[in-house]
Amino acid sequence: MYAPTAPVVEKPRILLVIPCYNEETSIGDLLGEIAAVGAEYHPLVIDDGSSDSTGAVASAHAQVVRLIENLGIGGAVQTGLKYAERNGFDICIQIDGDGQHDPREISALLDCYRQQPHNIVIGSRFLDNAGFRSTASRRLGSKLIASALNIFFAGNRITDPTSGMRLLDRRAINFFARRYPLDFPEPISLAWAKRAGLTISETPVEMRARQTGESSIEGFKPIAYMIRVLGYILLARLSNKH
Amino acid sequence: MPIALPNTTTVLIISAFAVVYMLILLRKTLQGKFDLYDFLMLSMVAIIPAGFALFPRLTYWLTQISGVGFPFVLMFGVLFLVVFIFMHNMTARLHKLERQNGALIQEHSLLALELKAKENNRSEDNKPDA
Repeated sequence: MYAPTAPVVEKPRILLVIPCYNEETSIGDLLGEIAAVGAEYHPLVIDDGSSDSTGAVASAHAQVVRLIENLGIGGAVQTGLKYAERNGFDICIQIDGDGQHDPREISALLDCYRQQPHNIVIGSRFLDNAGFRSTASRRLGSKLIASALNIFFAGNRITDPTSGMRLLDRRAINFFARRYPLDFPEPISLAWAKRAGLTISETPVEMRARQTGESSIEGFKPIAYMIRVLGYILLARLSNKH
Repeated sequence: MPIALPNTTTVLIISAFAVVYMLILLRKTLQGKFDLYDFLMLSMVAIIPAGFALFPRLTYWLTQISGVGFPFVLMFGVLFLVVFIFMHNMTARLHKLERQNGALIQEHSLLALELKAKENNRSEDNKPDA
């Protein structure tokens, strides 16, 4: 069982984990934006077996871990968390490499963490409903997943379980470096975290439309996605494994 | 239930299939393509029909005590059970291998980064002072 709160480090070492797959057109701009923020973040790009020049573009601006095979977002994020754990980072912040997440919003996550140090802080699109809005079906799907998490697990209410912008403290880093869901990692990781007693809070952030690429959840896939995610959440509830 | 014994041709065909198939399996096992568990499970496809054909009275007795109408229903039931057990174990093994493969890829990539960082540090140290 994990303690509900973690001690806040005065000047924490912050790792930005940026999972990327074929994002050569957006990753350079994103890393430029991160540099422009001027904060002492350590950006780490996880090139998830890209077939384009994502790794080469990123390595001009940041440290890059090149996965020799595509592991999916879960495997890529876990690689970053392992790096964070082994190199003694206090905080790990995950942001997408497709430009959806504005690096200026990272400070909102950090402010929220400083005010109320929870193990995980999610950047939520739905707390203020500002910025880019996804399709109605996506919002409905997100609501259903959030309801399932809130019904099945105790703890703070979650509004945006599929947000890929989140902060993890050291306890959460250690927990997920050992085991991280490979299927539907964003919502399922929250179920695992809640089951293990990690605390979660949310802060409103504005997100942008993705600059490049297409979502993998199109056509009839959202229905299958929903069924599988809800099944995994139920499994997490029934399982005692921490 | 009247016992209809299989004729000689049926027994011969099933036995021949069993022998040939087992020999193929044995060869692949010796070549290291299958392990002993795979060999045993796959060979059931030959052993079960051969057993049913060679011991028809035992087959009828088993059919009677298991409460099914015909011997072939029992035979396919047993075959399905073996295939299902095989599939079940294979799925578990595949999932474990998938996890191990992912972990290995992650470790490889993190080690490569660490090595690169060490090499960079070494070349920085070896630079002559200006």
